[in-house]
Amino acid sequence: MEQNKTLLNLENVWKIYKMGEVEVPALKGITVTIKKGDFIAIVGASGSGKSTMMNLIGCLDIPSKGRILLKDRDISQLNESDLASFRGKTIGFIFQQYNLIPTMSAFENVMLPLEFQEIDDKIASKRSMDILRFVGLEDKIDYLPTQLSGGQQQRVSIARCLATDPEIILADEPTGALDSVTGKNIIEMLYKFWEDEGKTIIMVTHDQNLAKYAHTIIELKDGEIIKTQNNQVN
Amino acid sequence: MKIYKCLKIAINMVTHSKLRSWLTIIGIVIGVASVIALVSIGNGMEAGINDELSGLGGNIITITPGYSKASGMGMPGHGPSSGSESVSESDAILGRNDVQALKSIPELAYIDTNIKGNAYVYYFGKSAQLTVTGVDQSVWSYVTTLEILEGRLLDPADQNVVVIGYDLSRNYFDEPIGINKILTIEEKSFKVVGILDEGSGMSSNGLSIYMPLQSAYQVLDDKTKNEYDSITVIAKDSADIDSVVAKIEKKLDIVRHVNTIDDKDYTVISMKQILEQISSVTGMITLFLGFVAGISLLVGAVGIANTMFTAVLEKTKEIGIMKAIGARNRDIMLIFLFNSGLVGIIGGIIGVFFGIVASYLLGGGLMSTPRGDSIETVVSLEIVVLALFISVVVGISAGMIPAYQGSKLKPVDALRYE
Repeated sequence: MEQNKTLLNLENVWKIYKMGEVEVPALKGITVTIKKGDFIAIVGASGSGKSTMMNLIGCLDIPSKGRILLKDRDISQLNESDLASFRGKTIGFIFQQYNLIPTMSAFENVMLPLEFQEIDDKIASKRSMDILRFVGLEDKIDYLPTQLSGGQQQRVSIARCLATDPEIILADEPTGALDSVTGKNIIEMLYKFWEDEGKTIIMVTHDQNLAKYAHTIIELKDGEIIKTQNNQVN
Repeated sequence: MKIYKCLKIAINMVTHSKLRSWLTIIGIVIGVASVIALVSIGNGMEAGINDELSGLGGNIITITPGYSKASGMGMPGHGPSSGSESVSESDAILGRNDVQALKSIPELAYIDTNIKGNAYVYYFGKSAQLTVTGVDQSVWSYVTTLEILEGRLLDPADQNVVVIGYDLSRNYFDEPIGINKILTIEEKSFKVVGILDEGSGMSSNGLSIYMPLQSAYQVLDDKTKNEYDSITVIAKDSADIDSVVAKIEKKLDIVRHVNTIDDKDYTVISMKQILEQISSVTGMITLFLGFVAGISLLVGAVGIANTMFTAVLEKTKEIGIMKAIGARNRDIMLIFLFNSGLVGIIGGIIGVFFGIVASYLLGGGLMSTPRGDSIETVVSLEIVVLALFISVVVGISAGMIPAYQGSKLKPVDALRYE
């Protein structure tokens, strides 16, 4: 597996929130390099800054100080629309609360990112079907999210994430809302995808069992990286 | 994202918040329907009046003594216009000199001289004071717009005969007055030769009595021979009415020694001017009705804006999700604009439907004129197209600010929104 190409660089990244007059630093000078094929888990207690870091890695937010380079492009320099397109093509999100559009069917939810990229309907539709089959939901494509179980919803959300064939998959507590058996299925599905397709996965979790699947574990505390641990064993 | 995909998502949003969408749509429906209904009433009134007036002939010009700077207008056959500045009728008279002056205008086809006054009329032992009009019977039949129901109009050779109004013949006295019956007017006997059609002519009064001018001078003893209360002239068909009016005024100014506007002691008014004035009044009424209805459309627009603000708030998280998976600001903006535009156009279409139904109901007898005729309502294609266009514009512009706000949401903030 090629693991040399740098996808994402966080260079001395600070994120400072203003709470009235008080400035609260959520991240204090984070420097991380993420290469193609990495499987990284970001762990830490709540309030450690991992959600903030997740948002920055996902280019959903821009840093207060420092630079974030996504495929060598400084995200602070992009305008909002370019950033949205770039993000859509490069990064796939899996959220703890699935974040499906409640008024759209499973199939429509998976189609949505492809539609934002203006991919031809036929290709998009075939791709969505293939992915839904991969996550084992080919018989549920017309169901609304509310008609699906938590695990099924998370699989739809994984399918939506994979539909655009992103180089980086960002998973925020992907099993956080699921029971342990379903959670295990989900993480194994991700792991298989990482192994087979050579994708880059960045996962935020507080669950040590989940973190074990990653080969690099970054531990955050009070907005700083306190430990980076290589974990090739699995 | 392709535009039709944005539309698809907008449709999805509308259909998934049915109750709120419908409530918002109702606001637009009421606005559009009332615009259509009220404007159709206004248009109907305009059309009805124009219809009635078009039978009167635009080439009738009436000259009356007295002049009012305030209005400058009088109705034909009703004497001078009244007004604080008018020269009173007794001061100014129309006479032979005026008729001679008018005769020198080649564009005039007929000149009818009239007097008018009140006289006691006896019939079968009952008496009443009624208005008697003396007309030049040699030309009257060409000049008048009155239509005959029974008998005939006055002939040049007639003496001591009258033509009477419909109501007078039917209901006024205990006995109906038929053709060839004798009326006693100021102790002179007159044979009824004609009865006017009901409601014929704009200025017709159902109780009118028309008689030859020479007879009228005998009946109305306060009138002096060769002095007239009004002169009605008919311009030749080819003539331009406005220039004929100007010519008449020029001639009369000379014979009546009018040098400045202050000296002016007569009024020339053409039916064309009256028609124009009336249609400008009905046009204003239509405009006013449209304006009133427009207010309810505005309220509907506020409803759309309100709904869209709520929708943006409610969809904040979805906006965040969409942005995270690649939606650009433009996409979000379009989705919400389409949403509000859809509400507008659906409301517009339904509103047009109800508006047409309402205007037919109103036209079908719910509303009527004081005379008891129902007002025809006229739904024009223009107002339908305009109403639809406005409802879309209203929808989209009401959604503009909410859509912009939605599109500007930061994905990280929007995602965090619960």
